[in-house]
Amino acid sequence: MSAASEAPSTVALIGNPNSGKTTLFNALTGANQRVGNYAGVTVELKTGETFTPHGRKLLVLDLPGCYSLRANSPDEKIALDAVTGKLPGTAAPDLIVCVVDASNLERHLQLALQVIELGLPCVLALNMVDVAEKSGLRLDPAKLSEELGIPVVPMQASAGKGIIELKQALRHPFPPPSSVTWLKNGDDSEETRRNFIADLCTLAARRPDAQSRTFSDKLDSLLLHPVFGWIALIAVMFTVFWAIFSFASVPMDLIDAALGSFGGWVEGMMPEGDFRSLLVDGVIAGVGGVLVFLPQIILLFLFIGLLESSGYMARAAFLMDGVMAKAGLSGKAFLPLFSSYACAIPGVMATRTIDSAKERLVTIFVAPWMSCSARLPVYFLIVPLLLHENEGSWKQALILFGIYALGTATAFIVARVLRGRLGPDKSPNHFLLELPPYRRLQWSYIFRHVIDRAWSFVKKAGTIILGLSILLWALATYPKTDSKDPGEILAHSAMGRIGAFIEPAVKPLGFDGRTGTAILTSFAAREVVVSSLAIIFSVEETDDDEETRSLLRDRIAAATWPDGRPLFSPLSLISLLVFFIYALQCLPTTAVVAREAGSWKWAIGQFLFMSGFAYAASLLVFQGGRLLGF
Amino acid sequence: MPAFTSTRQVTLNEVAVNCDVRISSLNGPACDRLRDLGFCEQMQLRKISNGRNLVCTVCGAKMAISRELAKQVLVSPVL
Repeated sequence: MSAASEAPSTVALIGNPNSGKTTLFNALTGANQRVGNYAGVTVELKTGETFTPHGRKLLVLDLPGCYSLRANSPDEKIALDAVTGKLPGTAAPDLIVCVVDASNLERHLQLALQVIELGLPCVLALNMVDVAEKSGLRLDPAKLSEELGIPVVPMQASAGKGIIELKQALRHPFPPPSSVTWLKNGDDSEETRRNFIADLCTLAARRPDAQSRTFSDKLDSLLLHPVFGWIALIAVMFTVFWAIFSFASVPMDLIDAALGSFGGWVEGMMPEGDFRSLLVDGVIAGVGGVLVFLPQIILLFLFIGLLESSGYMARAAFLMDGVMAKAGLSGKAFLPLFSSYACAIPGVMATRTIDSAKERLVTIFVAPWMSCSARLPVYFLIVPLLLHENEGSWKQALILFGIYALGTATAFIVARVLRGRLGPDKSPNHFLLELPPYRRLQWSYIFRHVIDRAWSFVKKAGTIILGLSILLWALATYPKTDSKDPGEILAHSAMGRIGAFIEPAVKPLGFDGRTGTAILTSFAAREVVVSSLAIIFSVEETDDDEETRSLLRDRIAAATWPDGRPLFSPLSLISLLVFFIYALQCLPTTAVVAREAGSWKWAIGQFLFMSGFAYAASLLVFQGGRLLGF
Repeated sequence: MPAFTSTRQVTLNEVAVNCDVRISSLNGPACDRLRDLGFCEQMQLRKISNGRNLVCTVCGAKMAISRELAKQVLVSPVL
């Protein structure tokens, strides 16, 4: 039998967080997994394939980072189960590659020794040798290999150096397991390991005697400073949000104009009829209304990528620990919550790095209240309407800031209450976080990650949103009537009837049946509400910048109740905003929460609580405002 | 100036910023976790900053740990 036809062997990459496992995994397999200069970017097991120089296929497992084989957090537990072959559905590894940061050997070797002691064939990937050498460390890989009893491959995975040598080391037959010379007479105490590492590092990884101040140290003296550090953090956050809202407007206008021209072209090419109406009013208006927000989503993910890749994200988590403590959370909850401003799904996934199970549940619970990018289309539609002006003024920016602040403040208050109710953890968890050195940005990975996220957004627009747009168009078009009056046509349609049915429930919030129907359709994906309103108020795409949205705003502003009163007063617009700030209208998030929290009960509870909260908050705003005479 | 005399052991909390110290022992419930992170006996570390959480450099890595954890790290001066 030829070697290539045999079942592939499994190779697991294990190492401390931020030792470069995923960079190595990508280099080995040609995959495109997300990497960042932040401990805990990989929170689940990833698999890929590579080939040895002899053409033999290997299955490569990229495990979440862990500090030891004593699992403390859920992601560490995955790594432990994977190397011991206890992870359901994953083959036990035939060989383990211990990825260690050469500049940090004393610490990384502790996990490596524990792994070597498992008795499996091992290879040590001595990563980041460039950083180690720059810091004056004198490495002796041959001595390391001799003492550990396994092959040692010096490498710089980020630059692709040492990959061929590593593949050579993975060829068959695998190297024999180490004879574990450091454990004598079955003694496996931590102390024996520590002494062995100390001796080994003196021999094979000598540090310069004097600790010199590195570039990272100098930058940290400013960025972690109790005063300047905060100024820098606020400046960074402000720049991120300002850039998202200002830079995105140019490409947004271009997309808008392109969609408008396309709609016009389709309209000109086809005879009038239901099919043309479906394409122009249903598909192009519905999908286009959401696609236009793609530039903002790309920018948000780009900035998060930049912050993670540079190493600043860990500093932000360090600074934010005190603030998060006020909400009963720790600095480790900062990254999940900040990521949730882009999308709650990666945010919820990132909670795996939180050691405390209860803190993790609370963070998952409140993450969807950090206003995600899917809410932006809704905000951009309503805020200018509230001020009776077009898009782009500083007043609107201020209101947007208020919207983000309201969502965040509520998330913190609810987190505090919930954390108090859940009680303390069985074993106390204290804040500890590695602050990685600042590194040059890995642009290729950042761009690939951004493209990945952008593509998933476009895919969503092409599937869920397209489907719902067609459904909505059908509901708003059929059954038909002979009347030419748009109001009457809508009232006669299925949509009009649904609207009339749910109107009593939404009227106390200041909405009519049409708005109620639009909200109802947005429970699967909140940004659908813009398409729904465009379809309900029968707005066609135009070929002018911002004109479509502004046309929709004109229609909404002109809409009235049957008695002639304007449909949307400032108060009912605020009520609508408040509803969208609080409601959990995203099916994929609910599915991810169920998986991460390990219970559908928690996910459904979160959905019901948030929907109820949104309804109550809207009701309070509208009825309270009316009582106060607004 | 470090807040200890040459022979006395103090907790990491009490050490002054920019001081190099050696870990003499670990004492408390989080010992294992601290050792996993490189805070092992005989390791030399430098305290970078004080505050709600401390920052220190240990075996080439910069770590931020809470004061509660730092209380469990007993250090002595580098001789």
